Amino acid sequence: MYGWHLKILRVNLTTRKATTEDVDPKIARDYLGGRGWAIHYLYKEMDPAVDPLSPENMLIFATGPLTATPAPTGNRYMVVTKSPLTGALAHSNSGGEFPTWMKRTGFDLFIFEGKASEPVYVLVNEDQVEVKSAAHVWGKDVHETTDILKAETSDDARVACIGPAGENLALMAAIMNDKHRAAARSGVGAVMGSKNLKAVVAMGNKNPPLHDTEGMRALSVDTSKNVGADVKKGSNMRIYGTSYVPQVTNTLGILPTHNFLQGTFEHVNNIDGDALKNQYLIRHTPCYRCPLSCGRLTEVPDGPYKGKGEGPEYETISSLGTGCGVSNLAALVKANYLCNEYGMDTITTGMTIAAAMEMYEKGYISEDVIGMPLKFGDHDAMIAMIKKMAYMEGFGKDLAMGSYRLAEKYGHPELAVTTRKQEFPGYDPRGSQGMGLLYATSNKGASHMEGDVAYEEVFGVPVKENPLTTEGKPELVKHFEDSFALIDSSGLCVFVAIRYVFSKDRMIWPERLSELMNLSTGAGYTPAEVMQAADRVYTLERMFLIKAGSGPEHDTLPHRMLHEPLPDGPAKGRVVELDKMLPDFYKERGWDEKGYPTQEKLMELGLPM
Amino acid sequence: MMICVKLIANYREQLPPEAKNGVVELDVPDGTTVYDAISKFDIPLDDTSVIVLNGLTVDMSTPLKEGDMVTAFSAIAGG
Repeated sequence: MYGWHLKILRVNLTTRKATTEDVDPKIARDYLGGRGWAIHYLYKEMDPAVDPLSPENMLIFATGPLTATPAPTGNRYMVVTKSPLTGALAHSNSGGEFPTWMKRTGFDLFIFEGKASEPVYVLVNEDQVEVKSAAHVWGKDVHETTDILKAETSDDARVACIGPAGENLALMAAIMNDKHRAAARSGVGAVMGSKNLKAVVAMGNKNPPLHDTEGMRALSVDTSKNVGADVKKGSNMRIYGTSYVPQVTNTLGILPTHNFLQGTFEHVNNIDGDALKNQYLIRHTPCYRCPLSCGRLTEVPDGPYKGKGEGPEYETISSLGTGCGVSNLAALVKANYLCNEYGMDTITTGMTIAAAMEMYEKGYISEDVIGMPLKFGDHDAMIAMIKKMAYMEGFGKDLAMGSYRLAEKYGHPELAVTTRKQEFPGYDPRGSQGMGLLYATSNKGASHMEGDVAYEEVFGVPVKENPLTTEGKPELVKHFEDSFALIDSSGLCVFVAIRYVFSKDRMIWPERLSELMNLSTGAGYTPAEVMQAADRVYTLERMFLIKAGSGPEHDTLPHRMLHEPLPDGPAKGRVVELDKMLPDFYKERGWDEKGYPTQEKLMELGLPM
Repeated sequence: MMICVKLIANYREQLPPEAKNGVVELDVPDGTTVYDAISKFDIPLDDTSVIVLNGLTVDMSTPLKEGDMVTAFSAIAGG
């Protein structure tokens, strides 16, 4: 087989022993790679009921068959584990350079098990694997750690690591790679911290052999040309990254504002893509081999928020910015830099502070408890809270558990805007009904990256779908969930994948993506087969959730989304009409009326009964 | 009647200098449609643009009313 190495590196951190093993080619084909392979091994080898922060939890880094190939944006990896934030599955995606370097070690997957007795990092230089002391970098931030580990290994190495938030087991801790890129969501950094694993350093030259190198090159060049044509026309993404989106969601009235109390933000012009471009943008910074290049280097040159780094992205603007009512752009950019340096998911960080702000303003949490006033719009307090969360100081200990546990502790669980205890991303589903169904049913708790139907409901990619209607949404959400499971398993980035390697129909179809998979692997997939494999991956993840105690009873939305109509904007008066969509969604997925996969469905997909 | 057109991100390059925060006010005759209003600007009117009226998905032939806001942005990718 090609495209995949069909090799797994397994590191037992308790014994500090590394072993390698081969992957059964049938398993490789049936589960695609990346996210698909990871859930196969997680489900097969681990009791889903384990404590996520115990040595028994497995932490899997997973590349796909298009990672480290010429395929445009073939630079992604997934971090898959049981989430300490949600108790469900975590599968967090990241790009940059580390994933390509990881695949070039000659392994498709790294599986970390057990717990080291003291802080360590793992150096993988092809077949040479060392578990080394990380005592000298423990306590250091992501940037310092990356610089130190590259200096003592090689400039040709790439580093994925945790910051203080992960070390301190904050439940919004991310795993950062190449300093600025994050496998952000669901507390994957806390799992790494619980294993005393500070960093993973990858280097090597083992590019995966390709089934049809010339064919892969030709199709990749053609795909990149299509991207390039849009870039030439003035693609939003290269100039703005995702920072142009606040104006879009504000226009539609779905921009999370003040912990989702509103759907529009009065000061949006202060923190939108143009403000960022005009004040702090230096240049774009692509992930490895990306023709789109949406990453951006920025700098606040002076003043109290002086700093330099990448971003912020939309999801940071809608959480630490509008979510918290913050309109000071320099402070918002600084907050983003801090989250990257401490290793924190900006969505959960921002929306947890937003929930605390609402509770403070309503008098449910006092200034004495917090240590300072915490009003919406107070950017200095917001920054102070980020530091407290990362280092578990004072009220930061409560914040570091996420908004669900925070709101529950202080007696107002209705103020946590979460599903499966994970904070909502930047699309208020009261004005984007498909997103509501997605958040309610996502295998990883509320997440746009689980099957982002906002592509159609908000961005018109590839076709514009009315966001306010529920009709047709169950089939669309199911289809997007499977499409995203496919992309996450392939090693591509969704930004390029959705627009350039699927057909431009309402029900996007992976014609070009399956061809790229075949040129890489020689597996001879049809588009229908890769979509069925994605369905297999999604359904197996659902089985994991059921066994983990996060089953159908959690397929719901928080009080605000179901019972408090949006007070402003084009979606004024709306709530999410989940009951109109959920039964049909279960049918579309081949699950019974209670939300459990049927025996017939499991048989059809070749999954264990 | 007076209406507003709002363009987002790179589309703002098409706006006249008097536009503020991506919004320009236009005096248009009765019967002007969404299509008529947005056609005044050099932006693609195909599936690479999203055009909404007061934030809502509507047919391009929808006639405008006093105070309406037509917004357009490039359909490239998500957030």
